[in-house]
Order: sequence, then structure tokens, then C-alpha cells
Amino acid sequence: MTERAGVVLVVEDEVLIRMGAVDLVESAGFEAVEAKDADEAIRILEARSDIGLVFTDVDMPGTMDGLKLSRYIRERWPPVRLIVASGMAILDQSQLPEGARFFPKPYVEQSIVEAIRGMFTP
Amino acid sequence: MPHSTPDHVEAASTLAVIASSNEPLLFLDSDLRVIAASRSFCRTFQMQPETLPGTRISDLGNGEWAVPQLTSLLRATASGAAEIEAYELELTCEGHETRHLVLNAHKLDDGDADHIRLLLAISDVTLARSEARQKDDLVRQKAILLQEVQHRVANSLQIIASVLMHSARKVQSEEARGHLQSAHHRVMSIAAVQRQLAASELGQVVLAPYLVQLCDSLGASMIRDPRRLSIAVEVDDSLVDAKESLSLGLIVTELVINALKHAFPGHRKGRIVVGYRSEGPDWMLSVSDNGIGIPDGVDAPKPGLGTGIVDALAGQLNAKIRIVDTQPGTAICVESGCSSEIGRPVSVPA
Repeated sequence: MTERAGVVLVVEDEVLIRMGAVDLVESAGFEAVEAKDADEAIRILEARSDIGLVFTDVDMPGTMDGLKLSRYIRERWPPVRLIVASGMAILDQSQLPEGARFFPKPYVEQSIVEAIRGMFTP
Repeated sequence: MPHSTPDHVEAASTLAVIASSNEPLLFLDSDLRVIAASRSFCRTFQMQPETLPGTRISDLGNGEWAVPQLTSLLRATASGAAEIEAYELELTCEGHETRHLVLNAHKLDDGDADHIRLLLAISDVTLARSEARQKDDLVRQKAILLQEVQHRVANSLQIIASVLMHSARKVQSEEARGHLQSAHHRVMSIAAVQRQLAASELGQVVLAPYLVQLCDSLGASMIRDPRRLSIAVEVDDSLVDAKESLSLGLIVTELVINALKHAFPGHRKGRIVVGYRSEGPDWMLSVSDNGIGIPDGVDAPKPGLGTGIVDALAGQLNAKIRIVDTQPGTAICVESGCSSEIGRPVSVPA
């Protein structure tokens, strides 16, 4: 087992995108944990303390969308880094918590990997 | 005579004119009592014509006209201190929906200074306002719907892109991986047009930012060392329609991938320039590099799918393809069929 560089929680309701994203995160040398919506993501964050970054979709069913989720995480778990991706082309940076990065879908995978690496680098 | 105030009798012709007005009209004395009303007023506000003369405006109907601001404005008009122009009033009548009225009032100027009379015109704009509101709502709904569709398209393209890249990482064969990555670049190229279209409203795409975005995305996923290889975009301010921009973007994608794969073997440094300019109906797209050039003879590359795609799309655009040996490197020009060369391709210094 190689030493993983960090743990990334992938939150995405569309299963094929989630599978791809989990594989992307793992190929880049990180450990991936997956959730299909915000509620599951919060349960995971409550259960384990090693999640260093959340990579979330915006438009998801459930009580919170990805924007609400990212604001909630910033409030409750301030050190957790945030990457938000959405098919909504026009998204105002002011809707995101401070420090969160936004990528329009379909995202360039290499850019996501670079963003994850950059956020884990102290 | 019913159509009179105690001390003054109006001419029958005046009353007849008022009665026949198509726009609801009230003819008032200085005390704001009705002298006459048009039939259109009685019809619009459901009042009996014979009950109106002598009634104060504030006592009309069920008292819904007793609006203090209207009364004071009418008094000011009667005194000559003001005129009511396009005064908006919401008339609330029990058991009826609120009506939007636009009022205009003028002091009658007939030379009779002893008898002040006012002409109050009342337009009911309830229907027009609600139609305007419905139209606004429809426009808003259409915008939301369009956004929703664009959102779905982006999400579908993300599914395709994710599956292709997932397969590319899993597959064992280097050649198959290359094909899957190329397929992924084509999808990303189409996605970049979609994104530009989402931002524009006329179904037209400003080419420069689109090609910049496209080349950024190609560079981000294909160039490991940006100090060794770079892509520049030198495009004028041309505006092209969606379909044409899709073809141009796919051509650029193929040519840039091709240059990145073949022009700079080993650790050779290099630069690729994507150019586009147009003059009237003529245009030229070029992708130039300062690489090793295209080998000929037995070393000449066999045309692959990428070449087939460029040929097919150029044909669809009625364009010719010209390959220029720029020493160093190669420029591929795709230019409109009618043009007699609108210029030289951008050449890249060694």
C-alpha cells in the first residue's frame, strides 16, 4: 500500500460521473470516498475526521444542493478544502464559500487534479 | 333637467359629446359632482347612467372612488394649480379584482370663468398590464428553460467525458488509450462551443474566446511541461454561427493534437499558434508549429481518423486545405473556397 496524499470526498449524484471522479482522484494518488448526495456527505464527514477535501457537484437531489453543502461544510468543518463543479455555466464566485474553487462541467480532469494537489500542498 | 347643476345648465351638445366618448369620461363641476358620464364609463364600471348626475365622485359605486389623493388632485386641477396627467390609481371594488387605472384630468377651457368644470378621462389598463406581465413571465420562463437545457447538455457531456477518461486510464494498450483521449478532446471541443453559446443569445459565437478556452483545455490535458510546449491563439474579432464554430473548433482540436503528438519528438521545445482571420466572406484558419516538419517518402504518416475528420469538416465548410512547409515546422491552412489566399499563415519562429 502506498502512502496516500490525502482523502477526498467525491459528492455526485450521477453514478458514471462519480465513478470517473473517484478513479481520477485515486489515479492522482489520493484516497477517494464517495457520496451520492449532500446528506450522505455530511454523514461521512461526521463519521470520519480524515477528509481533507470535498469535490462536489451542485445540482443534486436531497435537502441541500452542492452550493448549500459547501457553505455548510465551510461553517462546520472550516479546514476542509472545497472544489465545486457544475453544468451551470454562469456561477457567481460570490455564491461560493471563501477559498472554494469552481470548475464548469465538463471539467478538464488535469485541472481538477492540479487543483486538488494545490489545495493539499501547505 | 337631470343633466344640470342647480345654477347652471350645460348645452345638450356638450352632454351628447361626453356621453358618446369611447374612452370612459366623467364631466365634473367644481364641487366634484358628476354633471355627465360617458356610456363607456357606465359600462366599464357597471353603473346606471341615470344615477350619476349630481353624485359626488367620492360617493360613486360603493365608495371605491373615495381616494383622498385623487380628491385633492381634482381640487387642485379645479383651482388651476395643477393638472392630472397619467395618474395611476388602483381601484379596489369589493367582489372584483383590483383594476389598474390611468387618469387624466383637465379644467375645461370654454371661456366661462364662473362655472368651473373638469373633464376626467379614465383608462382601464388592467388587461394591458396583465398581458405585459404575462409576457415578462414567459420571457423569464424561456430563459430559465434554456438555462436548464444548457445545464443538462453540460451534464450529459460530462458523463461522456468521464466515461471516456475512465476507460483511457483503465485500458492497457497505449494505442487504445491515445484513441480514447482523442475522443475525449473532441467531446471537450464540442463542450467549449456549448459554453460559448450559453453565454451568447443570438446563436453566434465570438471565435477568439472560444478558441482560447479550447486551446487552454487541450494544453491543460496534453502538455506535461508548459515550459517546453505552448499553444498561442492569434484570432481576430470574428463572429461565426454556432454550426460553423463547432466545425472550426473540431478542426483546431485535431490539428493541435496532431502537432503535439508528432511535431516535437523527444524533449524538443516548441510552440503552436492557432490563427484565424476573415475579410468579408473569406476566412483562413491556420495551425502552425515550429516542429520537425512532416516526413515524406516512406516515412510519411498514414492518414488516421484525425485527418479524415479535418477533411470532412473542411469539405462541409466549403474550404480548402493547404499544407505549408514553413521551415522550421509546418502550417496547415484551412481557407474558404472562394478566397484567393487572404494571407499567409502565422509562421512560428524557431
